[in-house]
Amino acid sequence: MEAKIVEEMKPFFDPKAVAIIGATNKKGKVGNVIFENFKTNKERGIFKGNIYPVNPKLDEIDGYKVYKSVEELPDDTDLAVVSIPAPFVPDTMKQIAKKGIKSVVIITGGFGELGEEGKKLEREILEIARENGIRIIGPNCVGVYVPDTGVDTVFLPEEKMDRPKSGPIAFVSQSGAFAAAMLDWAAGAGIGIGKMVSYGNKLDIDDADLMDYFIHDEGINVVTFYIEGVKDGRKFMEAAKRITKVKPVIALKSGRSEYGAKAASSHTGSLAGADTIYDAAFKQTGVIRAEDFEHMFDLAKAFAALKDKLPKGDRIGIITDGGGAGVMASDAVDRFGLRMAELSEETLKYLRENFPPHAVPGNPTDVVGDTDAERYRIAIEGFVNDPNVDAIVVIVLFQVPLLEDEKIIDILAEYQKKSDKPIVAVAMGGEKTERYARILEEKGVPVYPTPERGVRAMAGLVKYAEYLRRGA
Amino acid sequence: MKEEALKVIEEVLKSGRTALVEYEAKQVLKAYGLPVPEEKLARTLDEALKYAEEIGYPVAMKLMSPQILHKSDAKVVLLNIKTPEELKEKWEVIHENARRYRPDAEILGVLIAPMLKPGREIIIGVTEDPQFGHAIMFGLGGIFVEVLKDVTFRIVPITERDARKMIQEIKSYPILAGARGEEPADIDAIVDLLLKVSQLVDELRDYIKEMDLNPVFVYEKGKGAVVVDARIIVKEKN
Repeated sequence: MEAKIVEEMKPFFDPKAVAIIGATNKKGKVGNVIFENFKTNKERGIFKGNIYPVNPKLDEIDGYKVYKSVEELPDDTDLAVVSIPAPFVPDTMKQIAKKGIKSVVIITGGFGELGEEGKKLEREILEIARENGIRIIGPNCVGVYVPDTGVDTVFLPEEKMDRPKSGPIAFVSQSGAFAAAMLDWAAGAGIGIGKMVSYGNKLDIDDADLMDYFIHDEGINVVTFYIEGVKDGRKFMEAAKRITKVKPVIALKSGRSEYGAKAASSHTGSLAGADTIYDAAFKQTGVIRAEDFEHMFDLAKAFAALKDKLPKGDRIGIITDGGGAGVMASDAVDRFGLRMAELSEETLKYLRENFPPHAVPGNPTDVVGDTDAERYRIAIEGFVNDPNVDAIVVIVLFQVPLLEDEKIIDILAEYQKKSDKPIVAVAMGGEKTERYARILEEKGVPVYPTPERGVRAMAGLVKYAEYLRRGA
Repeated sequence: MKEEALKVIEEVLKSGRTALVEYEAKQVLKAYGLPVPEEKLARTLDEALKYAEEIGYPVAMKLMSPQILHKSDAKVVLLNIKTPEELKEKWEVIHENARRYRPDAEILGVLIAPMLKPGREIIIGVTEDPQFGHAIMFGLGGIFVEVLKDVTFRIVPITERDARKMIQEIKSYPILAGARGEEPADIDAIVDLLLKVSQLVDELRDYIKEMDLNPVFVYEKGKGAVVVDARIIVKEKN
């Protein structure tokens, strides 16, 4: 069954030929932006498939032949992106079915979200899809973005919305607006997104289908979901249980149904908000719940870098060149349910012997403000070799005068590579710090702007590792 | 297990009700092996006297009526009845109270129950979510649930590990674990209760709408637990 979903999803992410139904030459129109996206990516050599605009009123757009109808489309068409008004979609679906196209993204809104009339259209469309083995993403969505293959149905033009580079994070969003904003933000934050799917009304393909698909997607290390509501809770839980055993799933859940407010005749009913029920479902299936979008991508970044290097326990070691930041990190360790590692006698001895007298061995270890990169190396070496330490948070205030920027970056990257203990870095500061952070992340060390966020991301790794060891 | 419980539920549905009275709810729980007190439903004063003798004084009296679900509001729970004479007297009182509260109240009988040793009070509940189906709730009774809403949920069915985590993750867990030098409560008994409720709801998912086991007394480690009061709402027959 899961293998079938891989087959079914393939044209969405890497089509041989895409038909853009509703393509137009009017700048800024949805059908134009989507066409432009594919065309630009083709010119860049990223999109390798054919592009077939469909519009009964046009002969050509930007040198591309325009097809008058779905019927006229060449036979290699395996993906249809539909952006025509809702009332015309059912007829077009019939033609799509006749043509034998099995993958359809319906961008258009004006369906179930508007009421009964729209729901009727949705039912018609779904019926045609089910009868003909067609899978649908949408309607009412921004569709799919895959940087590696150049598939980009996001109808917000590049000059208005930056696209993130590729990476091992999958991002699935019910809301199209949120998806677009997040892609733009991820691009700015240097976070790589391997695949984005925005499924809108999820008439057909839903969270559970995508989880089953992403189990098999080797380019994806971690799957993030922005969920407003789940239609079939049990199906969601079954799929979540399957994927979380293989890769981490992070969910940001917003929106409360009226259910929480409805009058309940029992005590229990009055205490059960929809949110508490989602919380329970996530806990039972190993889905990690994010507090907000910042937390979601903090976690995603940590898993993207460290999924295969999860901590073996919850004992955290902290290295810092600023006392205050060390205290903040220690507080966060407690707050997020982790433990401060108790360094072994050997480690303390090693640090004392190799540190100048005013540096402070311990947990946290304070290499103090006159540190150079070498002193960090000594501290990290000590922590990495200490059996009492499961994971390491290294706080680097790049502002201290004697710290060689490049050398400390190389040291962190080196230990991330050679040690089996995960390292996350915390770098507080402005533009310069931001630049170093980017370089560090390129080298596999996730970097966070505050100790709280660094420790909170580490807590996600610890909890997921425990889930893998012991179950939900 | 299922057949016995279903018999009770079908009877209730047949009489046009969806709310089980305490006695009926406990019959359903008992069918699934949940610990309920040795109680008997007396339809007449003679039966009441006989059952009280069997159970042993002091006893508690609880009047069962489908129209009176908030028993304490109606003053139809009378505790610590010490002698047959007192029972005779209170038999009149409890019926009078019921009539005053709801003149049209249909009276199914009076539950004669042993006086229970107080324990730490917990609440176990069940509700049905439109997307996820039945969920089970656990918390400490009294102010912990009423004021602090210190409860936790899981989707049914749950595993033993789920049950243990539920117990440990409420904020008032130290009260069960034994704060201030108290003996720890019988955590295994709570786990057993949660698992049995989960099984009950899983098997009777087409019938159960909501449940409250409130309170449940939990005794010290090794000494078990007992469901003191229970409500079950079933779904209307379709």
